[in-house]
Amino acid sequence: MGIVIAVISGKGGVGKTTATANLGLGIAMNGEKVVVVDFDIGQRNLDMILGLENRVVYDMVQVMDGEVNIKQALIKSKVNPDLSFLAASQTKDKTVLDSNKIKELLDNLKKDFDYVILDAPAGIEGGYEHTIEFADAAIIVVNPEVSSIRDADRAIGILDSKSQKVKDGEEVVKYLIINRIVAEMVQKGEMLNSEDILEILNIKLLGKIPEDRGVIDASNQGKPVILKDKSIAGEAYKRIAMRICGKNVKMEDIERVDVSFMNKFKGIFK
Amino acid sequence: MKIKKYERSLLKGNQYSVKVYETTVEDENKFISFFDNNYILFKDRLIVINGELSDRIKDYLISKSLIFVNNIELPRNKNRQELELEEERIRLEEEREQEFIKAELNRLSNKLHNNLKVLDSMVRSGQELKIDGDLLLLNRVNSGATINITGNLIITQVVEGAIRCDGNFMMLSNSPKANIIFHGVQVDNDLLEEKLNRIELKDNKILITPVLKKEINWAS
Repeated sequence: MGIVIAVISGKGGVGKTTATANLGLGIAMNGEKVVVVDFDIGQRNLDMILGLENRVVYDMVQVMDGEVNIKQALIKSKVNPDLSFLAASQTKDKTVLDSNKIKELLDNLKKDFDYVILDAPAGIEGGYEHTIEFADAAIIVVNPEVSSIRDADRAIGILDSKSQKVKDGEEVVKYLIINRIVAEMVQKGEMLNSEDILEILNIKLLGKIPEDRGVIDASNQGKPVILKDKSIAGEAYKRIAMRICGKNVKMEDIERVDVSFMNKFKGIFK
Repeated sequence: MKIKKYERSLLKGNQYSVKVYETTVEDENKFISFFDNNYILFKDRLIVINGELSDRIKDYLISKSLIFVNNIELPRNKNRQELELEEERIRLEEEREQEFIKAELNRLSNKLHNNLKVLDSMVRSGQELKIDGDLLLLNRVNSGATINITGNLIITQVVEGAIRCDGNFMMLSNSPKANIIFHGVQVDNDLLEEKLNRIELKDNKILITPVLKKEINWAS
């Protein structure tokens, strides 16, 4: 029986879909069976980032409506056979989602996969509430800026009140990923540091991802950055994936390392 | 002559109706001779004398043991029914007043100690706490969260959200990002300098007193 992890953010554009794609692949690279599901009905883009755009035939809504078998709709990644993908519908909108159907779909997926990762839509409306409804855990993706933190805070608040697990008296485990950290800006105090963010949100830190120009290029090519060699963001995703799989990986202090590295350089040229 | 004995909630008393003879003194000799002749008629009446009353007439009335008053406005045009109605009206008014006092006392005691709530959960963005009574909050109030409270408020952690308090006092730590409104007046964050401040209403003025300069450990 697998576990369902919802990747959420509240605010759009913080790197939720990129994180879902990379973590899906990263967990698969650890030898676990993973399925990533695009819950952003009506605005699908996880298929593009995973490079599976032209292989989508059936979508999640068709599976939930019983039009097609779940096996027909699942797309297996060519990069890693342990990773599967279930696309969002682009023609329908979020109103087609129904709690009972979602529960049935997730229960089916949990039988076949160790990890079911849901890419939540931005915002906190119906689509978001359906994504978190049956989640066992949530990964909250934030950028080190105040509006992202506040929206994430709101999303966590809704998670704590609307999820089925909470209604049953249990707790949804919440983990934080801080994305797009620029060490220099943190050092100068222009960007929030991770301690401040953790104090505000009060959840466990799963990992920090540095700003990396390679991410956009990787997304455009449909090859998640985790596949790239020597990518700082890719390495960070690898570490996070290992932590999700239960391995004990030391937390890298990417907020400081960079600067001391720069200082060394400066020292050399002085 | 006694017509009705009644009780009220606070005062006990008897009600009588008395016959009154009202007159003025124009000629003292005439007055005295008139009273001498008609003493039987007047002996049980209350004599009301309007205008001047000389010592001679006074002594005369006293010597005859007649009860008299000088220069008073007599309650006229009020028959028994009307008097009873008025009594009833006063009684109702008093009852209403008593009820109001009771309700006010109830409300106050609620405010003061009946409804103390203790919370140890974060108030996250978008959450709105509406509290009738007092609150002791042992956690943060994040940006975008709101607390609406009728009673007193103590928050031991940083506040970044909005607070609307109508209680007697608040205790807040230094919270530069908070939006605090106390009895409809915005509190200047710069005045919350120390670790813990007391904000209270005294003589229509908002008073801010630093209580603690150092951080205290509430948990231990």
